[in-house]
Amino acid sequence: MRFLDTVMGIPMSIDIRDEGDHHEAAAEAFAQLQEADAIFSPYRSESELSRLNRHELTLETVSGLFTEVVDLASRFATVSGRVFALQTASGEWDLNGIVKGWAAQRAADKLRALGVANFCLNAGGDVIAAGNSGPGKAWNVGIRSPQCAQQMMAVLALRDMAVATSATYERGEHILDGRSGSPARGFTSVSVIAADLATADVLATTVFAMGLDGPRWAVERYDCSILAQTEDGTFVDAGDLRRWLAAG
Amino acid sequence: MATMTARTPVARNRTNGRSARLLRALIAAGVVGVLGAWWFSTPSSLTFTPASAATSLGELSGMVGAFLVCAQVLLIARVPWFEHAVGMDRLVSWHRTLGSTVLFLIVTHVLLMTLGVQLLMSSTPWAAMVSVLTSYSDMLTALIGTILFLVVGISSARIPRGKISYEAWYWLHVTAYGAIFLTFFHELSAGVHFVNNPLNRAVWIVLYFATASAVLTWRFLLPAAAAWKHRMVVHHVVNEGNGINSIWLEGSHLDQLGARAGQFMMIRFVTVGHMLTAHPFSLSRLPSNGLMRITVGALGDHTSRMPHLKPGTVVFAEGPFGHFTPEASHRHKVLLVAGGAGIGPIRTLAESLISEGRDVVMVYRSTSHDRLALEQELRALHPLVLHTVVGSRAELGHDPLGPHALHRLVKDILEREVYICGPEGMGVTVENSLARLGTPQRMIHREILSMG
Amino acid sequence: MNGKWRGTTLFLAILVVMCATFGLRLYSASAHSGVTTSLARSPGTPATTASATPPTSKPSTTKGATGPTPSPAAATITGDPENTPYGNVQVSVSFKGKTITGVTVLQIPTSGNYDQRVAQAVPPILLQEILSSQSAAVNTVSGGTYTSTGYLQSAQSAIDKLP
Repeated sequence: MRFLDTVMGIPMSIDIRDEGDHHEAAAEAFAQLQEADAIFSPYRSESELSRLNRHELTLETVSGLFTEVVDLASRFATVSGRVFALQTASGEWDLNGIVKGWAAQRAADKLRALGVANFCLNAGGDVIAAGNSGPGKAWNVGIRSPQCAQQMMAVLALRDMAVATSATYERGEHILDGRSGSPARGFTSVSVIAADLATADVLATTVFAMGLDGPRWAVERYDCSILAQTEDGTFVDAGDLRRWLAAG
Repeated sequence: MATMTARTPVARNRTNGRSARLLRALIAAGVVGVLGAWWFSTPSSLTFTPASAATSLGELSGMVGAFLVCAQVLLIARVPWFEHAVGMDRLVSWHRTLGSTVLFLIVTHVLLMTLGVQLLMSSTPWAAMVSVLTSYSDMLTALIGTILFLVVGISSARIPRGKISYEAWYWLHVTAYGAIFLTFFHELSAGVHFVNNPLNRAVWIVLYFATASAVLTWRFLLPAAAAWKHRMVVHHVVNEGNGINSIWLEGSHLDQLGARAGQFMMIRFVTVGHMLTAHPFSLSRLPSNGLMRITVGALGDHTSRMPHLKPGTVVFAEGPFGHFTPEASHRHKVLLVAGGAGIGPIRTLAESLISEGRDVVMVYRSTSHDRLALEQELRALHPLVLHTVVGSRAELGHDPLGPHALHRLVKDILEREVYICGPEGMGVTVENSLARLGTPQRMIHREILSMG
Repeated sequence: MNGKWRGTTLFLAILVVMCATFGLRLYSASAHSGVTTSLARSPGTPATTASATPPTSKPSTTKGATGPTPSPAAATITGDPENTPYGNVQVSVSFKGKTITGVTVLQIPTSGNYDQRVAQAVPPILLQEILSSQSAAVNTVSGGTYTSTGYLQSAQSAIDKLP
């Protein structure tokens, strides 16, 4: 059964293949996402993030969940040498790069805790695939082709893994490399497969921003697999990607 | 004051040259092999970004440095083939050369790897270094090992070396083994060219194990076995005058040492104040009847305490080493020039050459008028022609070792092959005189008693 | 004796040799990359004038050019053997116009260890698998649905493929 909602302005779906009625579980999962939105949304003036940016709160007085995300993000920031950063250039806190994945992972963990074993959660393109989609069948997760939006660049067969994709879909569009201000050269699409979505989410954007050196950097430090496509159409892989490809 | 350590004979004969070249070629081939291993295990999508250039060169520096450090250790592991082929003195010299090279390569490796990460992430050097240290495995041990390498390297450089005692330098230097051990792990676990390349891993492990085995065998096991076999102790000490003492050593199966005239052994006296250091001392009497003798001048902390060595003190001796031997010369006529404690090896050479039937003349130089060490036994060596030259240059009014003086003293000096052993200044003077007189370089053999 | 500079000199010599090795490696890597690039065209992308030979030998070949191709004739081209960490790879590729109709592998790597940790352009066998996975039935889609201005492009069908 498929459950839909819009959280953080993003369409999210939970597809549960377990027998029985799982409305409650799905509702609780979405509640996790709503809670994260309430804490971290920069568009809500009463969110902890906004209040932190207005100096109504300090890092000592924010909630435990906020601190948890900051700690997690800080570690990524250190290892990535601030390619992934917690604050914008002007010093404003911006945790968008990690919150979606982190919150979706919490939602999935909640589902599992409530006894749901086979589901697929898609939070605006970040996917957690748990259990099977059918008897003995993994979840087939398509990666959108950057050149042709209706087609798939590749399809992954995942079971108990998460995948996040960072990509650019408009021809001529350029992601600016925040460090240099000029167009990032390198990839049109980066997909990272990892055991948890927060890691996959952060790595996808970080590797995308790093360019051609990114995939190697990521697999040397984290347990993950990467499939990316460069501007001239070449596929680049890292880690054990072959394991995750769906048979045609 | 100077402490006696390494000897550096200057002249070489031809077979040594060939083996030395072969050894150098082997080391160079090894470096080429390392470059080849890098070549074949680099991904073909290597791109020319500044970050990848810095990282690749950093990896290369590390790999070449890690190979050369094994070569360095092997050179002074006292492997018999190296010693026979090249000679300990030259091995030590190469060890020093490789030392600076390896140190530079290690520093380059660290800087370039950090730079690579820094370029990748446009971060500060400090953040890049933290990233490198935290995101690879075994980096803590690598860091400690690298610091040890730096300490060892810096303490061995000319100026710092002069400021610390021999013991301090020696025991700091020994920590190099620890440094190599500690840094080894990150090579296999964080080195991109090893992590998933079974061939490279296997080769590296074999290289390091072979080096460790060589060290274990020829620096520890065999010397320990030899020490047990010979069980050397101090027999008695004789004051020879002129600040020179002879120490008679007693042991079993000394003839099996294979010591030849002119050679030296690394000697360690196992007693308080001496046991931390091993010195190279030349034999002044070859083993016979279970006894052999070294003759030592008072030139440093330890040597001035030699006279107080008690009989029965246990002695560890390794060797013999050295090419300052009768086999190094071919002419029938030989000139021996001795000064200070150099009389020790010269005396054994005299006896040995005479027993071969050669025509031997000796010049024995001393600036003081105290009795000359070993003079009696020298005079007893018929038909040795002994010229003693005593007194300072000021007293004599000229340098008795200058070209004309030497020629007057030894009329047929140009027909003689020459062995020189004594203080640095004396050695240089005699060599220059011989050069002025026209003696070819390959006819001159010199052992220098100098600083390590 | 200039013994004290020998170590430094040796180091500098080694440094020069290492830079030369790196440069050569780069050069040999780029000289072969013409094969990989043209093979990696996915069906949805406009292909260039298809050729599997290195660019240097055929002046009319371009790697990144877009635009209409002159002749839609069928062709089979054999590429140069390419050196990868797995071993040598050599393929021949059949084209019909812009589309790759077949890939025949002539030489494959002997070490089939795909658990490599370092990123690289995919070898042809992995490429085949990627291309063939494209036609698998999909439960859900990963990939942003946003344009550069962050405008939400579509509703649920953008992220879920209903069977």
